Amino acid sequence: MERAKENFFIYADPRKCLGCKNCELACAIAHADCDLQTAVTQGLQLQPRNSVVQVDDMVMPIQCRQCEDAPCALACPTGAIYQENGFVKINEGNCVGCKVCAMVCPFGAIIVTKDINDKGNHRTKKGKARKCDLCFNRIQDNNEFSCACVEACPTKAIMLVDYESYRKKLIEERGKELVRAHTKTTA
Amino acid sequence: MSKMNNTTDLAANYLLPLAKKAGIETAWDRFAAMKPQCGFGELGVCCRICWKGPCRIDPFGNGPQKGVCGADAHTIVARNLIRMIAAGAAAHSDHGRHVALTLLEVGEGHAPAYRIKDEQKLRSIAEKLNLAPAGKDIKQVAKEVALASLEDFSRQNYSIPCNWAKETMTAERVDKLVELGVMPHNIDAVIAEIMSRTHVGCDADAVNVLLGGLKGALADYTGMYLSTELSDVLFGTPEPVVTAANLGVLKEDAVNIAVHGHNPILSEIVCDVALKMNEEAKKAGAKEGINIVGICCTGNEVMMRRGIPLATNYLSQELALITGAVDAMVVDVQCIMPAVTSLAECFHTEVITTVPVNKITGATHIEFHEDTALDSAKKIVELAIDAFKRRDNRKVNIPDYKQTAIAGFSAEAIIDALSKLNAKDPLKPLIDNIVNGNIQGIALFAGCNNPRVTQDNNFITIAKELAQNNVLMLATGCGAGAFAKNGLMTQEATEAYAGDSLKAVLTTIGKAAGLNGPLPLVLHMGSCVDNTRAVKVAVAIANKLGVDLDKLPVVASAPELMAEKAVAIGTWAVTLGIPTHIGIVPQIMGSSVVAEFLTEKARDLLGGYFIVETNPEKAAAKLVAAIKERRKGLGI
Repeated sequence: MERAKENFFIYADPRKCLGCKNCELACAIAHADCDLQTAVTQGLQLQPRNSVVQVDDMVMPIQCRQCEDAPCALACPTGAIYQENGFVKINEGNCVGCKVCAMVCPFGAIIVTKDINDKGNHRTKKGKARKCDLCFNRIQDNNEFSCACVEACPTKAIMLVDYESYRKKLIEERGKELVRAHTKTTA
Repeated sequence: MSKMNNTTDLAANYLLPLAKKAGIETAWDRFAAMKPQCGFGELGVCCRICWKGPCRIDPFGNGPQKGVCGADAHTIVARNLIRMIAAGAAAHSDHGRHVALTLLEVGEGHAPAYRIKDEQKLRSIAEKLNLAPAGKDIKQVAKEVALASLEDFSRQNYSIPCNWAKETMTAERVDKLVELGVMPHNIDAVIAEIMSRTHVGCDADAVNVLLGGLKGALADYTGMYLSTELSDVLFGTPEPVVTAANLGVLKEDAVNIAVHGHNPILSEIVCDVALKMNEEAKKAGAKEGINIVGICCTGNEVMMRRGIPLATNYLSQELALITGAVDAMVVDVQCIMPAVTSLAECFHTEVITTVPVNKITGATHIEFHEDTALDSAKKIVELAIDAFKRRDNRKVNIPDYKQTAIAGFSAEAIIDALSKLNAKDPLKPLIDNIVNGNIQGIALFAGCNNPRVTQDNNFITIAKELAQNNVLMLATGCGAGAFAKNGLMTQEATEAYAGDSLKAVLTTIGKAAGLNGPLPLVLHMGSCVDNTRAVKVAVAIANKLGVDLDKLPVVASAPELMAEKAVAIGTWAVTLGIPTHIGIVPQIMGSSVVAEFLTEKARDLLGGYFIVETNPEKAAAKLVAAIKERRKGLGI
């Protein structure tokens, strides 16, 4: 059987992040199917799935890391959260908005909120768990990712990480350093 | 998504690939690199007015709804907007102050390079400003007019309106604006007032802030009006002239001097001196001597008064240098991209700055003063001739694109043309044709270029639609540049695009005025500071009909605007009662209060209002609808 590839995920380099929150705007817009001016003029209360956080001097957006052994999926009482084709997905039809996933997420990356188009009533508020879906709906015909936050970042701080090639690069770089150190000491 | 074209300009489309090949970046490349632009900035909800911030309001309501001080989105957007208006007013009125001071120098006999070219106009201005010029020496009149104009920069009595505002509008409008408390008494004081009321912890009521903005816009109007009128006194009132536009006007065998910026105080003298130095240029090897061309609104100024060809408008200014054929680019103030000096390093071009408060790193600075204007102009032309000697002809690439352009339609020139039909009552033929519907209305195109849209495309598309709907069209600034470059200021354009009744009227007037054919489709009224020329025509019509401006079938459009000056102009057009279209989404949408005020509430208050529409076809339809609505109101 072919080994399953690890999930891609979004990572932001805090050394490059300016805290401008453009990724938040882009994320909210990307999940709403309209442009910024229209959304604001119509007073749509869009919800980004990432949040820019500041801790001491450091600032960066936090979003779902598409965990391989996702606590949210394990905790979900209705089985609405599951792994599929490299994504941690939420089946909103099964979600009851109980917030267990939000409580167990180590990154606070799950937001329980209603969709702008879902009108609640006295029986339900229609809140569902939502999180970064790597802009699944924007994946193009050629199967390429097109993450709104990555594209919106003015300092290129945000990247979509392919864990395998990231690790390979790391290994190569450290390997090169080790080789250089070794050559120096033997020379 | 298909990629938007950068420009409709043929010369620009010829040069852009060459620039790319040579690795030279232009505004379009920098715009692409700047994307994505900040969403908070686009909505106007970023406040940088104090150092507790920057504060940003979350437009979706999840995050902060108030800045640290408690200012909400409406306060922040309104403050940001009126600070832009103040900057626009400052730019225009500084230009006006400069012209008024020069007129004063001439009146006092201190500025030998300058003289009064239009005495009749000076006397009629003196009449308008109630200075009783009859029998007075012309220099005395110049002095009095200059001082009365400078009073508009120095008056301390808040209850007395600026001369140039009060005397140039309909009486009804003056009363309305005074009643609203937005009539300026002193241009500088109003600009200072905007800065002070928007300081941290001051005016926080968005609508009150906006009223301050209207006052600032009217200060802009005042500065612009006096600027244009006094320039006409010093340099002549424009009359129709046939010339050409686009980069094909550069000549391979001439010393090409591009005058760029806004103020004719400099460019006029450079033109005078260059004429005298033609032989020196020939001696240096330039068979055709000196060829002066214009860029941006300096270009429009010299085009209107001297028929000097226009090389290009704002967004393609860098491309003039990429031809490799511009020997000197002489600049004064406003809309000069700082990029020109680094671009000039790739060529032999001398970029020459002339104003002490407008320097660009990498440029040669030759300071220009009224009393020594001739010496400075001579030095500038000498530098250009020297540069010509260094020109590398292998790098010369002049696009073979230019269009005929008929320019020079000052208000006086239009009235003069009409007087050939009815000498006693020149406005009558125009008004009759508006009343009978041959001319449905009048549209003024103004404003800039903006890389957010395909260069010149909005202007051209809207104008062709309005022409078909028999709307008489006027244009200034880079809008006029767009029409000139694209051949819409020609008699052929009238034949091709005007609706039948408009064509008939333009032909009757054109023939009577001795043009052997129709007037051009779009009438060139001058640089962007000259928008008041159009107001002059509109006010004359309003007074004749005995109605205020907000009743006339007159609209304005700035379909590609970007500058703070354009924000100020658009705002005074609305304040005067004119429906005003803008084709770029303004950076105010983060506040429903501000957006609603400018597009709806202003209508109840002033009669004028903003129409925001980025699609040029839809914009044209909305402008036609606004004209029709006005006609209905007048019962015609």
